[in-house]
Amino acid sequence: MGMKNKHRYQTESEIFFQKRLFRNRIYFALGFALIFFLILWVRMSYLQWVGYKHYHSMSEGNRISVEAIPPVRGRIFDRNHILLADNQPVFVLKFSKDKIENLQDSFSVLQDLLPDLPKERLSRFFDRVKVASKYRPLYLPYTLTETEAARFAGHSYQFPGITLVAKLKRTYPFNKSAVHAIGYVGKINQKEFNQLNESKYAGTDVMGKLGVEKYYESVLHGSPGLQQVETNARGRVIQKLENVPAKPGKDIQLTIDIRLQQYIEKYLDGKKAAVVVTDPKTGEILAYVSTPGYDPNLFVDGISQAKYQELLKNHNRPLINRVINGQYPPGSTIKPFVALAAIENNIISPYKKIFDPGYLEFKDHRYRDWKRQGHGLVDMNDAIAQSCDTYFYELSLKMGVDLIHDSLYPFGFGHHTKIDLYNESVGILPSKAWKRRVKGQTWYKGETIIAAIGQGYFLSTPLQLVKAISIMANRGEVIEPHLLKDKEYIKKEQIPIQNIENWEKVIKSMMDVLHSSRGTARRYGRGLPFKMAGKTGTAQVFSLNEGEYDEENIRKNLRDHSLFIGFAPVKKPKIAISVIIENSTLKAAPVAVDITKYYLTELQDEN
Amino acid sequence: MKIDLPAREKVYRKNSGILVSLHLDGWLLFGIFLLIITGSLIVFSASGADQEVLSRHLVRVGFAFVLMLFFAQIPPNILKIYTPWVFGIGTIMLISVLLFGDIGKGAKRWLDLGFFRFQPSEVMKLALPMMIAWLFAHDSLPPPNKKMLIGLSLVGLIAGLIIVQPDLGTSILIAMSGLFVLFFAGLSWRWILSAIGLVAASLPIVWNFYMYDYQKQRILTFLDPESDPLGTGYHIIQSKIAIGSGGLEGKGFMGSTQAHLEFLPESTTDFIFSVLAEEFGLIGVTSLLLLYLFVIGRGLYIASQAQENFARLTAASLVMTLFVYVFVNIGMVSGLLPVVGLPLPLLSYGGSSLVTLMVSFGILMSIHTHKKLLTS
Repeated sequence: MGMKNKHRYQTESEIFFQKRLFRNRIYFALGFALIFFLILWVRMSYLQWVGYKHYHSMSEGNRISVEAIPPVRGRIFDRNHILLADNQPVFVLKFSKDKIENLQDSFSVLQDLLPDLPKERLSRFFDRVKVASKYRPLYLPYTLTETEAARFAGHSYQFPGITLVAKLKRTYPFNKSAVHAIGYVGKINQKEFNQLNESKYAGTDVMGKLGVEKYYESVLHGSPGLQQVETNARGRVIQKLENVPAKPGKDIQLTIDIRLQQYIEKYLDGKKAAVVVTDPKTGEILAYVSTPGYDPNLFVDGISQAKYQELLKNHNRPLINRVINGQYPPGSTIKPFVALAAIENNIISPYKKIFDPGYLEFKDHRYRDWKRQGHGLVDMNDAIAQSCDTYFYELSLKMGVDLIHDSLYPFGFGHHTKIDLYNESVGILPSKAWKRRVKGQTWYKGETIIAAIGQGYFLSTPLQLVKAISIMANRGEVIEPHLLKDKEYIKKEQIPIQNIENWEKVIKSMMDVLHSSRGTARRYGRGLPFKMAGKTGTAQVFSLNEGEYDEENIRKNLRDHSLFIGFAPVKKPKIAISVIIENSTLKAAPVAVDITKYYLTELQDEN
Repeated sequence: MKIDLPAREKVYRKNSGILVSLHLDGWLLFGIFLLIITGSLIVFSASGADQEVLSRHLVRVGFAFVLMLFFAQIPPNILKIYTPWVFGIGTIMLISVLLFGDIGKGAKRWLDLGFFRFQPSEVMKLALPMMIAWLFAHDSLPPPNKKMLIGLSLVGLIAGLIIVQPDLGTSILIAMSGLFVLFFAGLSWRWILSAIGLVAASLPIVWNFYMYDYQKQRILTFLDPESDPLGTGYHIIQSKIAIGSGGLEGKGFMGSTQAHLEFLPESTTDFIFSVLAEEFGLIGVTSLLLLYLFVIGRGLYIASQAQENFARLTAASLVMTLFVYVFVNIGMVSGLLPVVGLPLPLLSYGGSSLVTLMVSFGILMSIHTHKKLLTS
């Protein structure tokens, strides 16, 4: 169609017009190109000239990432500089979620590569990574052996975002020993994470969970350092630029003597018991035993659900910190304190004798003495040495519960001992006001009678008992039991003394518990190379865990608890002790005596 | 066979030496050389000083250069004769791509001829404008409206075949190369303006009914790259950071941290400009833009000197297509235009587009060096 004018020649004017038209269009195109190139140039000037600062800093930010260097956690030593909590280098896997390309694949390949890694733990960790924040690195709670580490290193190209790092892991070389005092570190959970200062915990994924590890967390933790590193888009470190070193946590020294601690633990192996030993002059806790214990190393990487359930369901309740959370009726161990209160307040003369027929009749109720036939005529000294209940029944009616309360309160019953541990239980030091407040009932006199021998509502912890006996040993000087060696107290309180003779008389009676021919612990005091004062006690079972025992165990668990408090040497006390043994035929008194003997004869020279 | 050359051309040749005897244009060659050298340097830098990448690039450049030489020897008259055939075969191939084509990255673009895999749309970048120029070869400009309409429908046909592959970007660019011929042939301004109006009006319809989600996503991301900084907007943001952090003087050759640390995607191909801007700054960018402008200007001059419709329309449209490629690529990496997968002419790591481009330069040179001697 268009082809038919193929051979038609153009006229002159057509040629001229055509040339002009085409030239115009060329000019227009050139102008068009110029304008659009100008637009590009303006755009470039805007980005490179005006926006330079902004983009420069963004480029630096791209290039440079800041990595936190976790601080080295302070170590924990015993009073003789023996290491109780250490940091050991181990290989672990660090997961940088933002750089992991395919989470599911990475995990299944990892499972094949590390066959010894428990499946359950990996899948639990997988669930954690899935929901975790993108920019917070997570560590797989599994310590790689050297072979595994080498194997992973060889395959690391398969795992973008997962890197092998050497990390310091908390270890407790004495395992179970003193676990309830030392505590342990564990993974920071979401709740803790929300509360803590994030910048202080950058690069760290554990913190103190229990014991002094928790109480002195701020001392032990230190503060993280920063390292500026140049990274590529995949987060691989290309070169290190600048470095602010981490400030390591401070080492701390405990008052515990691990040799004494282990001696006691070995002694009480298999028993449910609590023992606290202090230096009564300072309040330093020399031993802090709650058996059975458990291995804190299990918790550092996160304990498996099965193991945790096992600990939780164990009817001996290893997780319970008996020293501060075991609330027992103190029984006869409070008799010296009641007696002291009575004679200091002139309620009774220490020489006044009371007849004990084996019981006290009060309001048609017969309150029995532990000795059926009675102790006969007893004075205060006899009443303490022989632990005569009836004497104290009589005494209590003369005193009233509130005087007992007010007199025992300064010894530490019924309130915090101020030990450097969290979650201490305070027990109960009953009074009329207490009963009104807590039970909404009025006080009965009959309740005063049993309170005077440490039964009924009366509850105290082994730590409260050792504090009380330490104060007794100090002749009224109040101490605060504590675990940190360097801890200093600004003010030392003194319980007002009416007559120091009264104190010496009570202490003499307590000495007679072990050293007189009729003392309740005379068997154990015989032949001791030093003089010891103490008081035995028996607590009717007020089970820690009612309703959880199976039938077979009920009998055994209904056995009474055996208690003993004491100090030695009497003249210049160097050791105060409280012992509670639950549901056992083993008596507390010989245990306490053996511990004291071991401490004073084997360990004293160095301390 | 001995060809008896006209006397003037003999003299011309004697004076200009080897370039003329090879049918090459010195100025154009100069510009191309500078661009290719620049490109090779940046490819080398962006690849992290990878000599293997550089040598592969140079081999491709060499191959494309030989093709350019080859096409420069073919006089426009011969090209004109073959144009309808090439166009016809190209159209058939486009149809067969739709029927038997390989699927690469979710779209049917490749044709596998057993020993050779290529994109027929690449052929069309040259064949479509040349076909329309052929159409108007013997008309006096502007051609009659009927012919304009035939040209327009050819554009529509080819663009349509490519758009269904689907490859929206290439389809628009090829359509533009055809439309440039219509523009240079003298399409009246009234038509041009109403066509622009029509396109603008139909955009919402295209958006709603004819665009794939990934295409929509690209455009949305382009409008607000920060909305998805780690997804599709990532490329634009990183590219802008690369350009902006270059500043006035740049970070120096081999100094592109954005490329070396792998923040910049496709740093040797589509985003090569960002690397240049980061390493050589606004000074380097300005020089590059001037260099492109020089090549475009020389190309338009060649078109204006051409004596036949086929030659001048072909030359002008090829040059303007080059301009569009440069503008779209730089506009894309600097965040002015949405991300379309498009290399920067002569700079990006060699691919099929380099071959097409060098062939078009060969045609330009042929047009410039095979002129009839006309009186007047």
